[in-house]
Amino acid sequence: MAQPVVVFDGVWKKFRRGERHDSLRDLLPSLARRAFGRAAPRELDGEQEFWAVKDVSFEAGAGEAVGIIGPNGAGKSTTLKLLTRILRPTRGVCRVTGRVGALIEVAAGFHPDLTGRENVYLQGAVMGMTRADITAKFDAIVEFSGLEKFVDTPVKRYSSGMNARLGFAIAAHLDPDVLIIDEVLAVGDMMFQRRCTERILSLKQQGTTLVFVSHNLAAVEMICDRTLVLRDGGAQFWGAPKQATAVYYGISHERSKTAEGPQSSRHGTQEVQIVSVRVNGQESAEAMAIKSGDPVELELRIRCVTGPRQVLLGFSVLDAAQTQVFGENGSAKAKPFVLETGAEVTCRILIESLAVPEGTYSFTVAAHSPLTAEIYDWQDSVRSLSVDLPDDPSRNGSIGLLTRWTIERAAADRVPQGTAQ
Amino acid sequence: MLADVKEMLREQLEFRELLSQMIRRDLLIRYKQSVMGFAWAVFMPLVNTVVFSVVFMRVAAIDVGMPYPLFAYCGLLTWNLFAGALRFSVISLTSNTSLVSKVYFPREIFPFSAVAVAVVDSAVGAVLLVGMMAYYHVHPTWAVFFLPVIVLVHVVLTAGVALLLAMSNLFYRDVKYLFEVAITGWMFATPVLYPLDGVGGTLGVVLRLNPMSPVIDAYRAVLFRGTLPPTAPFAASAVIAIAVLALGWLTFHRAESQFAENV
Repeated sequence: MAQPVVVFDGVWKKFRRGERHDSLRDLLPSLARRAFGRAAPRELDGEQEFWAVKDVSFEAGAGEAVGIIGPNGAGKSTTLKLLTRILRPTRGVCRVTGRVGALIEVAAGFHPDLTGRENVYLQGAVMGMTRADITAKFDAIVEFSGLEKFVDTPVKRYSSGMNARLGFAIAAHLDPDVLIIDEVLAVGDMMFQRRCTERILSLKQQGTTLVFVSHNLAAVEMICDRTLVLRDGGAQFWGAPKQATAVYYGISHERSKTAEGPQSSRHGTQEVQIVSVRVNGQESAEAMAIKSGDPVELELRIRCVTGPRQVLLGFSVLDAAQTQVFGENGSAKAKPFVLETGAEVTCRILIESLAVPEGTYSFTVAAHSPLTAEIYDWQDSVRSLSVDLPDDPSRNGSIGLLTRWTIERAAADRVPQGTAQ
Repeated sequence: MLADVKEMLREQLEFRELLSQMIRRDLLIRYKQSVMGFAWAVFMPLVNTVVFSVVFMRVAAIDVGMPYPLFAYCGLLTWNLFAGALRFSVISLTSNTSLVSKVYFPREIFPFSAVAVAVVDSAVGAVLLVGMMAYYHVHPTWAVFFLPVIVLVHVVLTAGVALLLAMSNLFYRDVKYLFEVAITGWMFATPVLYPLDGVGGTLGVVLRLNPMSPVIDAYRAVLFRGTLPPTAPFAASAVIAIAVLALGWLTFHRAESQFAENV
């Protein structure tokens, strides 16, 4: 890497917590206090400040893609805003050379009353394109967005997906030296997302430097050369994307462990309680390691605190981004049942083959009323799983499927048929 | 400071396209959101002219040395450039929160585009002024060539105050209310609807400090009287205008980096 295009060196950023003096009503008393020397305002300020970014350093060379991942509130967006000069660092050096294109919010410059066409020009100018530039690329932008039929419709009639598609289409045609992207791959349908990813990769090939914030870890691993993991404003890791996502999984696991208090992860009336949750017979907060395609048994022990209550059980499998991969309730297979006060039941749910891509997953379980949908006990992400691909050189792909092969020879061979699993 | 000035001008040059798009946006929106569109630019001062013509020609007749409707319309039109630009500028940053907090570009664009839109409005309104001059047989003389200088001073002063107001309202949201009170008071302290030359005493001294008065009077001088505006007061206004713009722009530019955190 010859000359770094993006330099972020020992950057600190301080914010004030809560409201600043937003009206004169607040300002005048505080000025008066200061003037009369009462109530040391210094100490007060100290309490109200916090560091959103703490001593973070990274860099990117020309054509390099850098990913930034981390839990919510880790300082990712602040880092991007520092890169785009919207914010200035309190300490440290933040330097970006060349034309910067920022996709912090794709449709930030849109005005609802203007048509798609008018907004393309406006947003293009917001992003630093000249009128001639936009005119030259106008057709390509509209084609990319797939909104040919709606260019002369005011964008207030667009769906949010259409808005985002048009916004991304403009940004994708910016041809900047450095492209800063904040979680835009989450917009649009799958077709559009794939087009976005392709476009980003082709920009990268053309030598555009990318700085990319996302919760989509698969996209980060695919696109980025190096990845920064942020946590509570500090850099937790800086290096290879594979290792970075592993570090991030570790953080989210730790978080789910510490957040296991009743308020954050558990809610409901507690008239019926889920008293234990076992995965493959184990009741441990540690992630259970399995191979994709393995069977998983979930065992729920239920106790009725105030009965009688009709109970319907349910569970969900969530991926690392907290998206539901699969969910089912017992209405078809277990039927709601009635529990008297003090009664206990054990429910076993066998997932015959959990064929999911590798990654970290968690189980959410719930007991609720089948009639009113009133929740008795809901426990978010109580157990986690870490899923690897099966170590089998004969198998490829992102998931492990349970397969059964049959070979039938012609009758003349007179050899019994062979099966393999 | 020189570095600041250099950066300020370079940024404006770099983002000139955005300024023109913003002006376009504001004009387009105005045109789309109201049935009358640009007709409002003529209609508002016209209605006020009619009202004040009745007041100052029939109820409390005053002598302004020219047909009163001409005096009032010219006063209102030029005053509206100032007041209208400021009215949009004061909220220009706070009503574009998402742009201010999510995209980087020189924030001066917002108040500047508000001023430009007000200039366009006044230009539209000026069409009627030309018609009125023809109706009252007021013929412009060579003095009309001085008009661009007056417009320039007028716009420079307006832009300077606009920057200060937009910035203040971002930090203290009360400013827009204070502004409404202040602008009404300021109008009555400016010869918009009646001349103020005759006022003496302490009030007269205070009124003569108003940099807008020589500007409004200057329009009437070159358009209707066919003379150049009185040199000393107009020159003083020009100096004040430049000073206000310099002060406003510099403070705005230096505070700019904190806008995103406080908007």
